[in-house]
Amino acid sequence: MDARQIAISKGDEALGRIVIVADDDAVQRMYTSAILRKLGFEPLEAGDGVSALELLRNTAAQLLICDLDMPRMDGHELARQIRADNAERYVHILMVTGRDQRRERERALESGVDDFMAKPLDTASLTARVRSVTRLLRHEQLLADRNAAVAAAKERIEEDIRAAANAQRRLLPEPHRTTGGCTFHSAFVPSNILSGDMFAYYDLGDGLTGFYAADVAGHGVHASLLSVALGHLMTADYFRSQINDGSGVPAPHALVAALNRRFHDPDSHDYFTMFCGVIDRAADRLHYCQAGYPSPIIVSREGDLDHVGDGGFPVGLIDTITYEQGQTAFPQGHSLMLVSDGAHEAENAEGRAFEDSRIADCVRRAAREPSHIPQRLVAALTEWRAGRPLDDDLSVLVCERRNER
Amino acid sequence: MIKALPGIGEGICVIEPRLERLTAANATGFRDELLALLEKGEDRLLVDMSGVEFVDSSGIGAMVGVLKRIGNRGEIAICGLSGSVQKMFGITRMDRVFAVYRDRDTAIAAMNERA
Repeated sequence: MDARQIAISKGDEALGRIVIVADDDAVQRMYTSAILRKLGFEPLEAGDGVSALELLRNTAAQLLICDLDMPRMDGHELARQIRADNAERYVHILMVTGRDQRRERERALESGVDDFMAKPLDTASLTARVRSVTRLLRHEQLLADRNAAVAAAKERIEEDIRAAANAQRRLLPEPHRTTGGCTFHSAFVPSNILSGDMFAYYDLGDGLTGFYAADVAGHGVHASLLSVALGHLMTADYFRSQINDGSGVPAPHALVAALNRRFHDPDSHDYFTMFCGVIDRAADRLHYCQAGYPSPIIVSREGDLDHVGDGGFPVGLIDTITYEQGQTAFPQGHSLMLVSDGAHEAENAEGRAFEDSRIADCVRRAAREPSHIPQRLVAALTEWRAGRPLDDDLSVLVCERRNER
Repeated sequence: MIKALPGIGEGICVIEPRLERLTAANATGFRDELLALLEKGEDRLLVDMSGVEFVDSSGIGAMVGVLKRIGNRGEIAICGLSGSVQKMFGITRMDRVFAVYRDRDTAIAAMNERA
């Protein structure tokens, strides 16, 4: 609903028309009501504080004109009760007092009364007070309408973000899948609804299996747009064509260099870190290019750990750099685990980071069941954070090489 | 969020970030303050990171942003890396992109020699 629609649907006419007139003097009530009616209001009369409170609670009235001394509940107590009700709408309280009741007026202000009128009540001062309250009510209504418009816009944006998050999740592979002679297991935990993390794996043919994990700097909507762009670009065909530099050896560094050329923008600060690997299954070797992404761990069934790589330039940050690649043994029966730095940097309540050592412990303990590593790591981090959501996106990708021969 | 100490050695401006963590939450402000110094003509910057305990990828992005802006007109050096910040500079190879020194005195000595 836009602001114009709100204005039409909630017109001014209903605004603050009902006024409660509370006085134990019937003549005074009738006199006040008559003036209010002439001003276009709808007065409702109450002979004491208790019935006035009841009328207030059962109508949309936002203005009360009340006497100080009334049977059953006086003006002070009535004002206190109204303020204690803490309703969504604000009730303006005008109290009618004698001319020299200064101390009573001070008490009344503390009880929650907004303004005073002196007895005997005259038409001019009542008209002026009521008009001033009407102005306030109109202003309140304007603010309330704006709030409603902002809340509606926020709701619409959140709905869009949830739709974008669904689209992002559909780009990611399912949590467990066997392809290209390897079984992959993964977990994905965005810190907001959207994430700057992305990963995928492919059977590249010719006995090669490819995979990558990327983490866009920052998080939220901004980072997720780049991660989704990357996820769309990185198809199996694109991956296969880019790692072929004619040398006969898989060249993931050529793929990373191509991404750096594509995503480097001198006018933007967006960049991402990634780890890009190609497994030559017959040779039991992993060819990799590490681009600022944390070093993955290769773990044997017995729980022996090996960290792969010692760093590399991120992607899209600097255009003039050369990427290197490395290779290492990745035998059957071993698994490789990649985790985004959301895990390393996760701090517990005392401000201590989760760090490499705890990640390594987690991987070592689950070495016999690589399929459990992602969820074990997520569970350990949840415990570390004592249930508080992570500050950064988290993704875990495990590549399990089962024994084929 | 920074304290700038200009006029050290051969026209060096030492920068002490007044933050324990340089992250997505404050990286843009940090970068803008350094860029403002460049605008004022300070083109030899030495960022002393010894008080900074944590830098995330957005923090790295901010520092590279300053490096790019300086280009060939001046230089930006870094000193006092430790713990997880040093690791972050290693894993992203930023220790090869920036001139990195152990501490402030070593950095100033090396920068004076280059002047």
